[in-house]
Amino acid sequence: MQKRYRTAENIIFDTIVYIVMIFVLIVCLVPFLYMIAVSFSGMKPLVNNEVFLWPKDFTLESYKTIFTYPNFFHAYGNTFIYAFGGTAIALVMTSLFAYPLSKSFLWGNKLITKMVVLTMFFSGGMIPTYLVYSSLGIVGTRAAILMPFAINSFNLIILINFFKGLPVEIEEAALIDGLGYFGILRRIILPLSTAGIATIGLYYAVFFWNDWFNALIYLKGSQYPVMLFLRNIVNGTMAIADGNGSAEKTTMAISLKSAVIITSTVPIITLYPFLQKFFVKGLTIGGVKG
Amino acid sequence: MAKKPALTAEEKVARRRSAKNHFRRYWVLYAMMVVPVIYYIVFKYLPMFGSVLAFRRYRPGMGPFGTEWTLRYWERFLKDPAFWSALRNTVITSVSNLVINFPIPIIFAILLNEVRAKKFKKVVQTISYMPRFISTVVVIAILNELLSPSSGMINQLIVAFGGQPIYFMNQSSWFRPIYILSETWQFTGWTAIIYLAAITSISPDLFEAAEMDGASRLQQIWYVTIPSILPTVMVMLIMNVGHLLSLGFEKILLMYSPANSGVSDIIDTMVYRVGLAQQNYSYATAIGLFSGIIGLILVTTSNAVSKKLTGESIY
Repeated sequence: MQKRYRTAENIIFDTIVYIVMIFVLIVCLVPFLYMIAVSFSGMKPLVNNEVFLWPKDFTLESYKTIFTYPNFFHAYGNTFIYAFGGTAIALVMTSLFAYPLSKSFLWGNKLITKMVVLTMFFSGGMIPTYLVYSSLGIVGTRAAILMPFAINSFNLIILINFFKGLPVEIEEAALIDGLGYFGILRRIILPLSTAGIATIGLYYAVFFWNDWFNALIYLKGSQYPVMLFLRNIVNGTMAIADGNGSAEKTTMAISLKSAVIITSTVPIITLYPFLQKFFVKGLTIGGVKG
Repeated sequence: MAKKPALTAEEKVARRRSAKNHFRRYWVLYAMMVVPVIYYIVFKYLPMFGSVLAFRRYRPGMGPFGTEWTLRYWERFLKDPAFWSALRNTVITSVSNLVINFPIPIIFAILLNEVRAKKFKKVVQTISYMPRFISTVVVIAILNELLSPSSGMINQLIVAFGGQPIYFMNQSSWFRPIYILSETWQFTGWTAIIYLAAITSISPDLFEAAEMDGASRLQQIWYVTIPSILPTVMVMLIMNVGHLLSLGFEKILLMYSPANSGVSDIIDTMVYRVGLAQQNYSYATAIGLFSGIIGLILVTTSNAVSKKLTGESIY
């Protein structure tokens, strides 16, 4: 086997595969490494365009600046509130709905599942949604982020399919032992579903962490999350740097921007590799089917 | 559904009794659904009914569903050149995006599967997911810096090779390439998960048999891997066609500038502009509803086609 494998054609093929893979690695990592390098570099090498993938004149100035900038901390705190609060609410609501919907003997189950699936392909659209939320009185409050996204239909279907895959025997035994359905969900189903919960938990957390658009249309300035803060810097709505002369000003803005990018991205990027083995499975079993 | 025969009195009683038993046994499960069902009605279905606003005149302070019936908004947008330009931009951008970004994850998955060093394969895979977790704001912020005409890395390279710096983010001719390539960057690794799963489920016997017959690696890909994942590819293709009208609205909104509006104004950005910025609620709802209905037709048609051709459907 081994001998036949090492033909000239196969060796060339292998080489090409590795070249492609290394290219992919570089393309994925370089933008990020560049941002890190810029955020840690001193002003002079930045003005002279000398920074590439490694910081020059290493300094923590940009980070010091953004961390002493009051609005940044505030926005960062808001992001944590939305990511943790939103994900917690979403996980409770999604499990509460997924569990009964995983029992196909319940009446109306099919109809409700169909109604859920419909919302994945047709929605009220931006304006009616905005008007309904605003007449509910949640626009301008944090509830506008924490409540409307409590159940994502795609995540719900993933969890329903996950629950359907669990063995029924354990549940039956628990029922005989006198445990109610709430108890079964809390003490048996959820502990058995770490992979499913971790998968959709990650999706929710990423959504809440990265969202800026809903924050833009539904929230007030003091409630803005860090992504909206960043967007306002990017499109020039908000200036954060004050230096001498315009060249220094723009350069300073670039290094500050990089520092904001890094600090706002690192938490989510350090989180996902730990959950990788779960979401790979979650994505493949999810396959939108009711 | 077949016509049900009329029930006798006894059957009715028996049915009522079993219904009683059913609810006595399972009421907790029904109770669990109450809050989520209310959630769905309030946050998903009310806005859906709110789409009637497309046919109704909106008056501030008179509720979200408008005051009187009218078709004027439909007449208006059908005559609005901005709408047709937005529709054309939507279709062109998403078709070119599909043509380029549909095959790339398949190729990536096939090649990644050929990597024999397990550790290296894992590292590449993990890192290829990373862009999927980055916010669109960050993606655009990074692009702005990398492509900046004065300090960006790309333009420094262009200048170093004796070229002129290009204002990438501000030129309408660069809008689509940047949009599409950044989609490639963001989603290739992520989408490849599905194809990789399909490849790993191919029986290793097939590869062994092919190798016995003297097939090279390339031939194995051509005669074993690709035919085996073809059903998955078909389903994904059909799903993608179904979502043809839904572009990455948030990204396009971030890339939008007056300089590139000729190509970057898509239906969703137009709805946003007309509706939320100019507060022309009914008009924007009409445009949004139109694209929503087209989208629904695309999804149901492509799903029906998929069911017929591959036996697979997405709902």
